[in-house]
Amino acid sequence: MSRSLLTLLGIAIGIMAIISLMALGEGMQTAITGELSSLSDSIIVTTGGDFFSSFSGGGTNSAGGYLTERDIADIARIQGIRDISTQLSGAALAEFNGETTIVSLTGMDTDVMMIQFGSTDLEAGSFLSDGDQNKIMIGYTIAHDTFDADITVGSRMLINGEKFFITGIFSRQGMGGITSSDSVILLNSRDFKTLTGQSNISSAYVRVYDVTEVESIATSIEDAINENHGKKDFATATSMSSILDTIQTIIGILQLVLVAIASIALIVASIGIMNTMLTSVMERTREIGIMKAIGATNRDIMSIFIIEGMLVSSVGGVIGLILGIFGSQALTLFLNNFMAMGGSSRLYPVITIASVILAVSVSLIVGVLSSLYPAWKAARMSPIEAVRYE
Amino acid sequence: MEEEAEEIMSTNVIVTKDLSKTYGKGDLEVHALQKTTLTIHRGDYIAITGPSGSGKSTLMNLLGCLDTPTTGKLYIEDTDVSILNENQLAKIRREKIGFIFQKYNLIPTLDALENVALAMSFAGVNQQIRVERAKLLLELVDLTKRANHKPSQMSGGEQQRVAIARALSNRPSIILADEPTGNVDTKSGENIMSILEEVNNQGETIIVVTHNLAIAGRAKRVLRIQDGYVREEHV
Repeated sequence: MSRSLLTLLGIAIGIMAIISLMALGEGMQTAITGELSSLSDSIIVTTGGDFFSSFSGGGTNSAGGYLTERDIADIARIQGIRDISTQLSGAALAEFNGETTIVSLTGMDTDVMMIQFGSTDLEAGSFLSDGDQNKIMIGYTIAHDTFDADITVGSRMLINGEKFFITGIFSRQGMGGITSSDSVILLNSRDFKTLTGQSNISSAYVRVYDVTEVESIATSIEDAINENHGKKDFATATSMSSILDTIQTIIGILQLVLVAIASIALIVASIGIMNTMLTSVMERTREIGIMKAIGATNRDIMSIFIIEGMLVSSVGGVIGLILGIFGSQALTLFLNNFMAMGGSSRLYPVITIASVILAVSVSLIVGVLSSLYPAWKAARMSPIEAVRYE
Repeated sequence: MEEEAEEIMSTNVIVTKDLSKTYGKGDLEVHALQKTTLTIHRGDYIAITGPSGSGKSTLMNLLGCLDTPTTGKLYIEDTDVSILNENQLAKIRREKIGFIFQKYNLIPTLDALENVALAMSFAGVNQQIRVERAKLLLELVDLTKRANHKPSQMSGGEQQRVAIARALSNRPSIILADEPTGNVDTKSGENIMSILEEVNNQGETIIVVTHNLAIAGRAKRVLRIQDGYVREEHV
């Protein structure tokens, strides 16, 4: 009895691992899809190819070259484009409380700001609004780590000698999400141009009218800019939907790897079932002989053991399913704390009907497969040998 | 002429022709049973006796279709069982033969009623009929009160009576009892034998394998077996 319970536990742990890792993977899919799918009509135009670095940090573009006003004008002329907004970036000296350090500035129009950062939680203060002058928003790291003293809303910071007031501080975002806001200093593009005297456009954010045309428009944009600069791969125009596809593929692979690892637990558990069943067959040699003597066929004997194996593994599977539902909650809680994910990129486990069906059917199949050999051994026993001796 | 032959055949429950069983090969050959020709009629009450190692168990295993002969023929109710495969033999065992063992051989995890019903479940009898018939059989062996007791909660004599009820459950043509009183006290043994004799009086064919001469003496025919040869003793 306790042997069956331990075997059952093995299956439960295997199924729990699969369920919770699948829930985690689904949760990741949902989080990222949720964040990005509203942007399916968008195209990000960057220079130098690496979309992630220029889009997220707003740092200076290491690949060299910025988009020019002429590029932006050319983009605007392409058919099907609804609007275009730009992100400026550059380095500056910031001074707070007598300390000075080099920071990177990101300038953009407030509507662009809402698209990129609108879903990010604020620790304090509020977003910039259209008419604001000499006001900035800062990320969590800038507010708490860059300078010795903590920066609060309403504080004054000197950037290149100009006075700026903090209107909002972003919550800590950590590694999650596409647009990290932790070390950003955000101001509107007018202020950026006045302050730096430059309009270094590191990236442009284009929206189209028709989502179905987004890929062909992206190609047209690339061609137009590359022609302007006389280089083949000066600029990259990436549609959000293609980014989304890529990310989903990556998460899909990740999910598969996670489930494959969890499956090892299940394989070990199935060996456990086989072992238990073999012992049980040995112990019940006499019983099997009696049943054969009173007329049980080999099939009758086999089905007795296979049903027993299925019973152990399916009960284990159901327990594993329940443990997995709790386990995935615990796992995401842990990950959320560990990776300090905040706001919209917080993970929630997603248990799908498919994963429930998968868990139950996998445990049934495991039960059948691992009891096949013991059952076959039982069925092969000779009734004479089995009945004659103790 | 043909009708007559059919008549004769159908009163013969078991017919063997030169039935032999040899174990091992070459120098190690053991002739456990040699060229045995027997006819057992419906309603016979037969005792098979002989010393240990004489071939009693071999004959019993062959007659019970637990084993197949090396040479010779065995007919059970006109069916040549010496050519049947494992599954067909299992079918003969559950339909034609009821076993009673020295060690009772009940399934320890099932209660008396379930033990009796088990053989019927292998025969595909439906649940309701199974339970009703099992209750009836337990009544026959006077164990209605023990229906829900596990074998471990019953005396040897009671367990053997459950085994008799189980042996009768599929209405077999032959009851094969291997030392049925070997493990019980005299009083229970007497009880068991009288139940078997009562069943025989109702027309059932009974074959009892035993050491015990007193038990053997109660049978209508006695087959003595020695060194693999079977001889009929006339009492």
